[in-house]
Amino acid sequence: MTHVAIVKAARGVFEASGATPVDPSYILPSDIPLELSGEAVRARLCVFTDHRGNEMVMRPDLTLPVAGLEAERLASGTHGPNAYCYAAEAFRLPAAEGDPMEFTQIGFERFGRDADPSEDAEAFALVHEAVRACGVRPVAISTGDLAVFPTYIDALGLPRVTADLLKRAFRQEGGVRALLEAAPLPIEDDMVSTLQAKTAEEAATAFRAALQARGIPLIGTRSVAEIVSGLRARAAVQEAGGIPGTVRDVIGALASVNCTAAEAADQLDAIAVRFSLSRTTSIIDRVARRMELIRELLPDLKAICGFRSGFGRRFTYYDGFLFETLGPNLTDSQPIASGGRYDGLISGLSNGRANATAIGGVVRPDRVLRAKGRGA
Amino acid sequence: MTRLSLAIPSKGRLKEKSEEWLAAAGFPVTQIGGERGYQAEIAGLGDVEMRLLSAREIAQGLVDGSLHAGVTGEDLLHDLAPDGEADFRVLHRLGFGGADVIVAVPQAWVDVDTMAELEAAGAAFRKAHHRRLRVATKYMRLTRRFFAARSVGEYRLVESAGATEAAPTTGSADVIVDITSTGATLKANGLKILSDGLILKSEAVFAISPRADWKGPALGSLQALTTAADIEIGSLS
Repeated sequence: MTHVAIVKAARGVFEASGATPVDPSYILPSDIPLELSGEAVRARLCVFTDHRGNEMVMRPDLTLPVAGLEAERLASGTHGPNAYCYAAEAFRLPAAEGDPMEFTQIGFERFGRDADPSEDAEAFALVHEAVRACGVRPVAISTGDLAVFPTYIDALGLPRVTADLLKRAFRQEGGVRALLEAAPLPIEDDMVSTLQAKTAEEAATAFRAALQARGIPLIGTRSVAEIVSGLRARAAVQEAGGIPGTVRDVIGALASVNCTAAEAADQLDAIAVRFSLSRTTSIIDRVARRMELIRELLPDLKAICGFRSGFGRRFTYYDGFLFETLGPNLTDSQPIASGGRYDGLISGLSNGRANATAIGGVVRPDRVLRAKGRGA
Repeated sequence: MTRLSLAIPSKGRLKEKSEEWLAAAGFPVTQIGGERGYQAEIAGLGDVEMRLLSAREIAQGLVDGSLHAGVTGEDLLHDLAPDGEADFRVLHRLGFGGADVIVAVPQAWVDVDTMAELEAAGAAFRKAHHRRLRVATKYMRLTRRFFAARSVGEYRLVESAGATEAAPTTGSADVIVDITSTGATLKANGLKILSDGLILKSEAVFAISPRADWKGPALGSLQALTTAADIEIGSLS
């Protein structure tokens, strides 16, 4: 098959699912990916400056501009589920030698449907129908669920500050380890009155007075209220004596979940039982049910589906089920297909003006071609 | 391009010190066209293309291979090299031009003393302001690498053209990554260094480019210089 034939085959599958074909803007303000995902993604973005000096990027994937279309549609008052599909170019700076800067993504994005295991399984099956239409057999599929870690942290009943810290750290390389190793910092004497103040105004007044006494100017765009709440967070961690030992154990146990997708729910359940975490039932059921449905839809992929609890944590806007499909002749960092759930993205893109569940998936024809090898 | 192209900074103390170092090794530099010229000659190394450039241009030239060797700041080499230390080779630390590249925040942020607390403050900031905390710097790559290594993702970079330390006062950014030797400028601008915010202890270095074309007389000239200055080259492949 040629690249053209692969594109045609995969696109046919997504169009047949009833999605509307789109080809959104190639160019986005750099604020869109950078505010959403942070500077870490900049290293992969094709950035340029327009004639007025505004920083722009070539779209790094189709999910962002397509979600942008949907956010606009919803913010303008049109509601109800919606689905788009595309076969279009995206642009990224190469992460490894030989990666192309310009490549095609064939995919779909679905919005506003029930965010349940059957929708996850259907989206997964649709991507793999397209992979099959391209005539390539996957050799391994990694799956994960980014809702698992936050749910387990919530189930520990920690102070919110600590829980939030851990959840954020989870999404960063080495973040949780660094956090667990850090000693809580002390509160300085002249800040005690700020912390003991009864109202926000009293706290702000006490804080300003303390700054003045130290001869420190109040500069920067963080407000006094934000700094005071940061101080309270530090005091809370200090009072709790750092992060408790059970938290370390639970995180360690979660981090070691690396099994077949069929075993995932049992392993997660064993952790919940061992540490008496009762509020994890719904996520465990969800992982179990999703895998059952995937097995029913795609019985031949059962043997190659793996599950890792930390999988995909640096895929910045994904927040639930996600997967990557590997083909022959390629490395682990070059999936032929991938996809996942990103229920928070529409809200993030529209500053909360719109909200919709979302799931999508793509096939990479250039990699499919490499997976099929020469003369295929 | 097979003759050695060698560059030293064109201005200031870095230039003087570089000339002193070369002269002490037995290779005096003379400027063509007087003190303001940008062309120069070096004696005793054979046919060498001697250039006077800004420290940033020298670092860039070493990284992309358009210069064979030069004196520049480690901070610039680390910042301009996309693949980190594979893009340049420091042969000798020169003991002058010393400064630290650091992360600094307003002193008023009594709740932020570590990179982890900066990340927490950044996350809270994004919730409250619907945008990310801004970090002003001339060191775009160095900052990105260091923040990623310290698990800090809640920020946006703003490229600073100069006077980075003023950014928090003027409101163009809250956090800065900048170079400091005594910390006095930071203090005068109401800033403090994070306790784990030391990115790099930098000084002037003599460095070579692994990407440059080392065939022909270039290598011989370099060897003459390093032998006289008592520096090990090691393998160039």
